[in-house]
Formats: sequence, structure tokens, C-alpha cells
Amino acid sequence: MLGFIVRRLLSSLLVIGLASFVVFAIFYLGPSNPAQPICEGAGGRCTPERLEAIEKQMGLDKPVVSAYGEFMGGIVKGREIDFGASQYDCDAPCFGISFGTRTPVTDELKERIVPTVLIAVGGSIVFLVVGVSIGIAAAARRGSAGDRLLVSGSLLVSSVPYYLVCLLAWIFLTLQTSLFPDTGYFPITEDPLKTFGGLLLPCLVLGVATSPSYARYTRGQMVETLGDDYIRTATAKGLPRRTVLFRHALRAAIVPIVTIFGLDFGALLAGTIFTETIFSIDGIGRWGLQALQAPLDLPVLTATVLVGALFIVLSNLIVDVVYGFLDPRVRLG
Amino acid sequence: MTSLNTEVMEEGFDPEPGKPEPVKELAGRSPTRIAMGRLAHDKVAVICGTILFVMVLMALLAPVISNAFGLYHKIGPGQAALTDLLEFDGLPRVGPPLHPFTWDHPLGIEPGTGLDNLSLLLYGLRTSLFIAVLATLISTIVGVTFGLVAGYATGAVDAVMSFVIDFLLSFPFILGALALAPIITTRFGANSSTLGRAEFLTLVGVLVLFGWMGLARLIRGQVFSLREREFVLAARVIGVPTRQILFKELLPNLVAPIVVAISLALPGFVAAEAGLSFLGIGLSEGTSLGKTINAADGYYDKYPLYLWVPVGTIMVLVIALNLLGDSVRDAFDPKTRR
Repeated sequence: MLGFIVRRLLSSLLVIGLASFVVFAIFYLGPSNPAQPICEGAGGRCTPERLEAIEKQMGLDKPVVSAYGEFMGGIVKGREIDFGASQYDCDAPCFGISFGTRTPVTDELKERIVPTVLIAVGGSIVFLVVGVSIGIAAAARRGSAGDRLLVSGSLLVSSVPYYLVCLLAWIFLTLQTSLFPDTGYFPITEDPLKTFGGLLLPCLVLGVATSPSYARYTRGQMVETLGDDYIRTATAKGLPRRTVLFRHALRAAIVPIVTIFGLDFGALLAGTIFTETIFSIDGIGRWGLQALQAPLDLPVLTATVLVGALFIVLSNLIVDVVYGFLDPRVRLG
Repeated sequence: MTSLNTEVMEEGFDPEPGKPEPVKELAGRSPTRIAMGRLAHDKVAVICGTILFVMVLMALLAPVISNAFGLYHKIGPGQAALTDLLEFDGLPRVGPPLHPFTWDHPLGIEPGTGLDNLSLLLYGLRTSLFIAVLATLISTIVGVTFGLVAGYATGAVDAVMSFVIDFLLSFPFILGALALAPIITTRFGANSSTLGRAEFLTLVGVLVLFGWMGLARLIRGQVFSLREREFVLAARVIGVPTRQILFKELLPNLVAPIVVAISLALPGFVAAEAGLSFLGIGLSEGTSLGKTINAADGYYDKYPLYLWVPVGTIMVLVIALNLLGDSVRDAFDPKTRR
């Protein structure tokens, strides 16, 4: 087991290292020159000499490998960054200075990650509760009209592109009918109730749109488990139906659901970009999208993609390890 | 070649006890033909297939229909003056739903630009389907080839190829696509004449880049179990070249998973393309359903038809493709009996 964890850890580190280099190199060698807008915005004419001087000051003239080394060094131990006329003290973990706002990316990252995490957690609670309980109910009444309705209905619902669900919910439930308060992120430290109101609809939409696949998956697992011998034994010895369903069947059926959930949660943390854009919530996904408006905000883009990849790799790793603990059959040596 | 293709009989065939089976039923039928027969009897599949056929026809005939009705999807000669079509606030002067129905503009005209909505819809459908089909085709070829080689090769080659798959899977798709698209576009679309093509290829390229790994993984797993089978061993023993083993021996046995993967990838790509255009990454010239939705979402109360047409079309298209894909999966699955 320990060897397996160590091996998985090493390969995850390799993936993260490579991903960060690729992301960095793509943006670093990309066509947009970040020095250009600074040179033009500083007043006076932007001569080739001035442009070159600014590039040199920002460290854009170095070969990509050494620039990458500096960038990674900044994440580990912080660095000082010259930017235009001013100098920034960027503490570890330093993702650079945003070209747009001229503030350290790390500071904004800390702010932006809160709503993304809140949506991911809120949405997950909704789709786990709704999806799993519908799935259990359908499996318990297998073959009934309700079960058939669920199977065909969930297929239909999960076929609708997610951003259209978001868009329609936003238009109908907040703009036209005002059933829900205005969406958006309001800092939780100021008014928790307002934060809750602003994120309520996004979490519900995310949860409801995702729950059909969990319902279908739970139903499949439960139907399989309910056919096992030990369930018949439990029923035969006179246990109440509810105990059989929840204490015996669900415990076995939940393991694969937990792993799927782990992967989904990682992807959600990487940025629920449609949810954030449509409901105008200032999270990681929307931040990345905003950084794409010309001129490209390279440090922000690099940071968002990197943080996203980190979350996905981490969730993969955790799922693999947890799976071994949850399911004794897959303890790999 | 082999084995799998011959002995499978029609599932659900239940001869009455005592009566001998009719002789013609004993003829071998390939799994593909069995699946096709099942699909033809699946009502959902037939309905969805018909809807899709009509949509594909509409997309293919977009220029013909537009010309026949005198509709236009971009600004050009022959178009009525904007002041005749639009009010001062940009809303249309003619066409439904604000004004009586007219055959000149069956679905009304676009606010601000005065372009015809039906024409925008047809050309948007054309773009969506073309990009999705192209992306599906390329990613299938890449995924199948990658999966075949990775599954058949052992040791270091397989390890490296699996790492590439894991690596790409760990990228956040939308963010990655959004970040890559403008960079590739600016690199290759330096002047405006190549810009359109560069954007188009970038869009397809990004969709393919993040879309082939699932199939590659699936095929790799299938090849793992197939390559120890007798017919592969026999082929190897008599000295058949590896390339021939891969594409002539193994590939025909993977038709079912590939067809299923294609039928489920297509709606995914349609939705992804529209989603990316909706976020503003996609084609800057030309029409796309996602782009129209993006432009129309501010008109939901003033001019709802403008928003509903592309939203409804994408929904119907993706739902029909998904349901058809699901039916295809059922039809190819030997475990489902009906």
C-alpha cells in the first residue's frame, strides 16, 4: 500500500511539474508581448529601445527555462519583481504580479478561490443529497413507473447543455420573476446572509443539473448490490427494509460513488466557469476568462490554469488512495 | 480474422419450444448488423435519427434555402437599408414576434445588425455540425491509433503513452481551451485573410486536443485483453507485421466501442463548440449558434424569439444526438436484451 501511494505521489508530482512548465512556456512564448501595453501606457512615445528596456526590466528577455526556474522559485520562496517604474516584493507563494491590476496574483487568488470553493461545496451538497437519494429510491422500487420515469428523465435532463440551464435559470428565476435574490459573490465576512442569497441559485442549478448522473449511477450500483446474497440474508433474518437499504446495501454501493465524486469535486474547484460567468460570481473561472481580454494577463492565466490542474491531480491522487482504504479488495501492494 | 463476428445470434430470439428453428436464422450475422437491426426497431432512435437528418439537411442546404428566400447571414449587397429594418433602438421594424409574420423573415431579424434570423440559424447549424463532425472524426482517429499502439506495446512505450493521456486529462478543459485558443489564433492568423481559417482550425484543434483521451483509454484497455487471444498470437507466430496486426486483426474487433464512442462524442463536441463560442472564444467571423446566444441574452424580454431560436435549436440537436447515442450504446451492448 505504501509503495503504491509513493508511486502515485511521484507520478502526480511529475504531472504537475510538466503541466506547470507547459502552461508557462505556452504563455511565455506566446505572441502577445506584455511589455507593449506598459510601454504605450507610460506616456511619451513607445520607441523600440524603450520597449526593449521594459522587456529587460520585466525579465521577458530571458530564455524560457531560466524564466520558468525563476517563476517556480518565486512560488517556493518568493521574489522581487520589477514592473514598469515600481518594484514589488512578492512573498511566497508568488505567482507574479497581475498585468491588469498591478497587484500580486496570490492576493487575488486567495480572494477569488473563496466563491469557487463555496459553489463547489454547495453544489456538491445539493447533487449528493438529491442525486443519491433519488437513486436509492429508484433502486428500491426497481421496475416501477417512478423508476422508469427517473431513468428516461435523467437522460433527458443530463442531455441539455449545462450553460443553457444556467442561462435560462438566471433569466427566469432572477431577472424575470425575482424568485431568487440577485446572484453574485458578496464577501462572507461582511454579510453571511447576503453571501448565502447570492450563491443560492448558482449552487442549486449546479446541483440539480449534475444530480441526474449521480441518481443514475447510484441506482445502477444499488441494483447490483441489492442482488447480492448478503442482502437476501439480511432481509431473510428479518431486518427492517430501511436498515437493509441504508446500513447494508448503501455501504457497499457508495464506494464507487465516492470516487466519482472526488474526481468531479476536483474539476469543480478548477473553476465552474459557466456558473461563474453567467451568475457573475468573481471566482477562479471567471477570473481566467477576464484575464483573456486583450491585453492578455499572463500571470493570472498561468495561475488559474495551474491551480486548476493542481486541484484535478490532487483529487485524482486522493481518490486513488482513499479507494484503497474504503474498499479492502483493491489494496494494491 | 475472427471469432467474435460470427457466432453471435440475434438476442431475444426465442424459438417456440418443440418447433425447430428456421434454417435461415442460423446464418451468421455480424454484431454491427445485429445492432443496426435493433436500432431500426428502437422508436427513440428512429425519431432522433429523423430529427437529426432534417437538421443535417438544413445545414447542408443553408446557402440554397437562404438564396431561395432572399435571406442573408452577413452584411453585403442586395440587403435592404438598415433604417428600413430597424427602429432607432436597434429592435427590428419587421417580422415576428413584434410585428406580423412575413415570409421575408420567418424568424425575424437580428437586432442591431438587421441580419435574418433564419439564415443565421441555418449557417450557425452548419458551423456547429461541421466543427463537431470534424472534431469527432479527428479525435476518433487519434484516440483509436493511440489506444491501439499503447495497448499493444508493453513496457516503456505504454508507460509514456499512458502518462501523456493522464497528463492531458489533468488539464482543466475549458480554461485550457480558452487560454490556448487566442494564442494559437494570433500565432497563425497574422493577417485578416487567414484569420478566419486559423480560428476555425484552432477551435477544431482545441476540441480534439482535449477530446481524444477517453477513447484512447477505452481502446487501450480493450486491446489489453484482445492481444492475448489466440488469433493475435497466431498472427504474430506466422510473422504478420505489427501494423497489420493492429489495424487488420485488432481494429475490426473494436468496431462496437468505437461506434458507441463516436455517437456519444458528437453531442459533446456540439455542446462544447457552442459553449466556447458563448464564452466568446470561437469564430469572430461567421455565425455560430453559441455566438448568437451570447449576443441575444440581453434581449430575453424585449425580443425573446431572437434568444429562443438558437437556444431551442442547440437543445434539440444535443438531446437528439445524446438519445441516439444512448440507443446506439444499447444496441451494441450484448448484455441488454429486449
